[in-house]
Amino acid sequence: MANPKTTSRREFLKFCSQVGLGVAMPFGSPSLLHGKTKKHDPYEGPFYVVFNASGGWDTTYLMDPKGVNEINRLYKEGDILTHGKHKFAPTAANIENGVSNETFFKAYGDELLVFNGLDYSINNHSPCKRYMATGKLDSLAYPTFAALVAACRGPETPLAFLTFGNYSATGNLVPMARIPYLSSLKLIANADSIKGISRLPYHDDFAKDLIEKALDDRSKAPLVKGTLPRAERAQSMLYAAQSNSKALKHATPFIKDKDPKGRLPRQAEIALACFKAGVCVSANISIGQFDSHANNDQDQMNLIPEFLAGIDYLVKRSDELKIRDKLVIVIQSEMGRTPHYNKGDGKDHWSIGSIMFMGQGISGNRVIGATDEKQFLTPINPKSLAIDRKNGIRTRPEHIHQALRELAGIETHPFSKKYPLKLTDGEKLQALFG
Amino acid sequence: MKRTTLVLLALCICLFSEGAEKDDLASLKPGAFFIDEVWAKVGELSCLKCHNSSGEAKDSGFILEETILLKGAKQQNIHAANFKAFSKMARKSKAGQQSRLLLKPIGELDHEGEQVLKPNSTGHNILEKFVARINGKADSSSTVKKYKPQPFFEGVTLLKGASLLRRLTLSLAGRLPTPHEKKAIETKGLSELDTILDQIMTEEAFYVRLKEGFNDIFLTDGYEGNGELILSYNHFEKSRLWYQKYNLSHIEDEKERKETFYAMTRDYRKAIRKEPLELIAYVVRNNKPFTEIMTADYIMVSPYSARGYGIFEQIKDRFKDPKDPFEYVPAQLPALRARNNNPINAPLVQESKTGFYPHAGLLSTFQYLRRYPTTDTNRNRLRARMYYRHFLGVDVMELADQVTDAAAIDAKYKTPWMEAADCVVCHRSVDPVAGLFQDFYNVEGHFGPRKDGWFEDMFAPGLEGDDLPKEERWRSLQWLAKRTAEDPRFAIAMTEHVWYILTGRMALRPPMNIDDPHFSARRRAYKMQRFEITKIASRFTQAEFNLKQIFKELAKSPFYQSDGINAAIGQSDRKAELHDLGVARLLAPEQLERKIEALFGARWGKLEKEIQILYGGIDSKSVTERLTEPSGAMGAIQRIMANDLSCLHVVADFALAPNKRRLFPNVEKNMVPGVIPITDLKIRKGIVHLHSYLLDRRVSVNHPEVDQTFKLFASVVKEAKKRKGIDKRETYHCGRIEGKLVDDPDYTLRAWRAVVTYLLRHQEFLYE
Repeated sequence: MANPKTTSRREFLKFCSQVGLGVAMPFGSPSLLHGKTKKHDPYEGPFYVVFNASGGWDTTYLMDPKGVNEINRLYKEGDILTHGKHKFAPTAANIENGVSNETFFKAYGDELLVFNGLDYSINNHSPCKRYMATGKLDSLAYPTFAALVAACRGPETPLAFLTFGNYSATGNLVPMARIPYLSSLKLIANADSIKGISRLPYHDDFAKDLIEKALDDRSKAPLVKGTLPRAERAQSMLYAAQSNSKALKHATPFIKDKDPKGRLPRQAEIALACFKAGVCVSANISIGQFDSHANNDQDQMNLIPEFLAGIDYLVKRSDELKIRDKLVIVIQSEMGRTPHYNKGDGKDHWSIGSIMFMGQGISGNRVIGATDEKQFLTPINPKSLAIDRKNGIRTRPEHIHQALRELAGIETHPFSKKYPLKLTDGEKLQALFG
Repeated sequence: MKRTTLVLLALCICLFSEGAEKDDLASLKPGAFFIDEVWAKVGELSCLKCHNSSGEAKDSGFILEETILLKGAKQQNIHAANFKAFSKMARKSKAGQQSRLLLKPIGELDHEGEQVLKPNSTGHNILEKFVARINGKADSSSTVKKYKPQPFFEGVTLLKGASLLRRLTLSLAGRLPTPHEKKAIETKGLSELDTILDQIMTEEAFYVRLKEGFNDIFLTDGYEGNGELILSYNHFEKSRLWYQKYNLSHIEDEKERKETFYAMTRDYRKAIRKEPLELIAYVVRNNKPFTEIMTADYIMVSPYSARGYGIFEQIKDRFKDPKDPFEYVPAQLPALRARNNNPINAPLVQESKTGFYPHAGLLSTFQYLRRYPTTDTNRNRLRARMYYRHFLGVDVMELADQVTDAAAIDAKYKTPWMEAADCVVCHRSVDPVAGLFQDFYNVEGHFGPRKDGWFEDMFAPGLEGDDLPKEERWRSLQWLAKRTAEDPRFAIAMTEHVWYILTGRMALRPPMNIDDPHFSARRRAYKMQRFEITKIASRFTQAEFNLKQIFKELAKSPFYQSDGINAAIGQSDRKAELHDLGVARLLAPEQLERKIEALFGARWGKLEKEIQILYGGIDSKSVTERLTEPSGAMGAIQRIMANDLSCLHVVADFALAPNKRRLFPNVEKNMVPGVIPITDLKIRKGIVHLHSYLLDRRVSVNHPEVDQTFKLFASVVKEAKKRKGIDKRETYHCGRIEGKLVDDPDYTLRAWRAVVTYLLRHQEFLYE
């Protein structure tokens, strides 16, 4: 039996792991007065970005075009366009702003992997969002992929998991961070200076270092006898948050003076500045209003181009920052739209849809899976990934998440094991990403 | 800190049978294997939802009963009944087939609930072992690793009276305890707590906290658009924009007139937005039954919002100050009339047998209805879902069941929500309630029934089996509200809401992961908390639904007071069992600001404004959940806050007369450490005061924590002395009094600033 008087922080962390309480660990122990400050060890990628089209996108106006059976009013089957292996709906003639499908597939088709015929399984926003984000429908405890990969790959980074909305559960593995504006990032990047102005420090450097050392000494001291698990965990999380936050100063050179225009570019800019500074592992980027129960075509023709423009911004800006090759981008929504219009010219919820990927480790110019002419799912063979109507499987979010975990190299990490997806080897999609 | 050991043997409820490992088949008595494995991991989680006396499978012949809140003989009897049902099903099989208990849950034998367990899953394996046992087959692998819990609160220590008092006054009233309150607790103990809480709950600050807490839950502050948009053009055409025509001509200066107009507009919009929360405050303040948030036949209006409804003239005499935009009184609206007789605006007059709008507490407020809008296809189901969550504590979307092919179901049935078993299971509850909101069939939250009458391809309006009587249709929400007030789940849900307000987190949900090695321990933690919530809900009901009773009961609860443990937690099951115990809550931005004001005399002022969202706050619209664990961004804000507060207050405090100082009543800046022992002692006493005042840590002058703080103070002073070119005055930004820089020849002011910065970053300051 452990002696409570000598329970160390390390033992506490072990305990957290045992009982399923995640904890963020801080950067090492700076020893400021002795000139041996541990150098900031930035997280260098891969960086994971999950784009969410919140509300349910109409895949037949994007990567899974139909043009038959009155599924689409804006084009016919013969109008469907192609780029390499990709087939997509023509939208250039129907949009006023943003990026058309034509432009998007031309620019990124060679890098893009499309999966059509994903079974969301149900058609309610709340559980679908949870399912798509975590790969688990019947649990509120599971972390989103973005949170999980952040916890596994870089728990010590100060903004390991950045979220701008959508379902963002962390499974208690890593704290989530919300940074609404670039100015917010500027502010927190210079926390020891008055109004964030670095030439106006609150304390002389030596005093600041002594404060940090005192806090560090305190954190290393044996835990106070008789602390309940929740309080112990809070203590550890707090220390990690404050200690790790010091690395945020590295983001300063990459923060633009002004927020870019647009909902997604603003989010993307913040995420990229944090990636570049090595203070962030993953970001959940999101815009809403896709839930087009009325006037489906009008809404989708506004939103899909805006969504694609956001992805385009992220990729181009990452190019400028020289981190494009380190990005892994997941592009998804929580549901599709029905293969027919309702009385209000809208489309309701549909439990079959698509998902797209691009970035590091993902072979592009590929389309896996399919839906039929009535927008029903066509099963696939999980091994060959070929259509197999007779013996194939219905691909669900857990299959996608299993593949994502493998792509990220975290499928055997203890945190992943703590939240198992419970697929047999025969059910796992083989080489989904190429 | 001295802690009181709690040994609550009385609360020791042995939840897991200590009996024999094997079920007693001869006498049909359930043993540990059945209770801990078959029932807890399969029956309760996978079967009970449908196979109960009112569930979808109520006619199946396999009927089970809930056990989670039962104790003693009653629990044993129900376990026996459930065991009997399982045993009977386990024995049933056709020649050459497996037991029905094994085939049905994997979706065979036309199981209407389709597949609820996968073959070879943990749950199915448990059933296989059970069937083997029932059939008399020895199962060498089935010896259950017995979890033998100790009394739940054994060794748990509670907050000392003074600390509990401080936590409560800060949490509920945003202030420190008064000397009178301290003395009462010191001399008479916790028996005085109810009296003190009764007083606290008369203070205006309590109602600020109450409204803030309930807005976290109902989010009514977050409805879309400007405040007055809840008022429809059709019914409030002439009154809703009253401010635009308000006569301000007596203000001669144009700029001043415009500013007055803008301020009036802002106040009006804010006043009308706040009405639902003001109803909650009114009910609690006046010790009315909290069921009145459902059944109130009135709304709360202020002089400004009353003008919006067009009823100001009729009720203006009820206001103490008719010019106060935020004084609220109860009022009834007349039945709504269309703006003209054009049939397009029908109904021209709202049906009402009383002549008044049929108010039903929060449910019929336009704010609530607008916050949770509907669409042509949603058909008020969002409102029904929120009704269940807010007022009965049931989240119908929490754990949706997986179906084989939802798209095929959609295609197969014209109305899958009435025909497909997978859909009916939820829609049978949700759709009738949705129908009760039928008079508000629009996204704006306005009164406006569907032109073609309510949908006939939905389950008829009503509540859980009771259809709405035709004669009650005009006041369907009142009908719903009355039933809600009578539903025992209402009291449970309200207790859970107060639990959230006091602890910052929702009550535990039942564990679902049966593969978790600590499943039984987590289930026990959940069960213990359920007992407490149920007990408090019962006392709330007995107290005629006075919400204050829940605050008082929770304040006395060991769940709220748990503060530590006096023995090592060796067993991992025990650790998992206690993992949620104790408050240990990161203060929300608003709470932290109030604490800062209580301790320093003024708010910091930044956490409630520009960095509220950054520090985990909510906007009630798109950001609706508070962050409860600090990210690096929040850690940075804590550093800024600690730096800034010490900058603002340390020098200012020293500038006051000692008896007026909050932080440094017993030390002076000329006290330099390491010179003479008596000075060091005084500095140590000053540190003890800071630990007590800022952190509620009552420690002696030789305590290691005081040593550590003293070391910081002394090191800063010593280090400054060693360095050349150090300014002998405090800094420009942190060291001015009346515009003049303050002398700091020994660097002690700056060292004390370092100390306060250090302390403000402690958990004891940032958490409660």
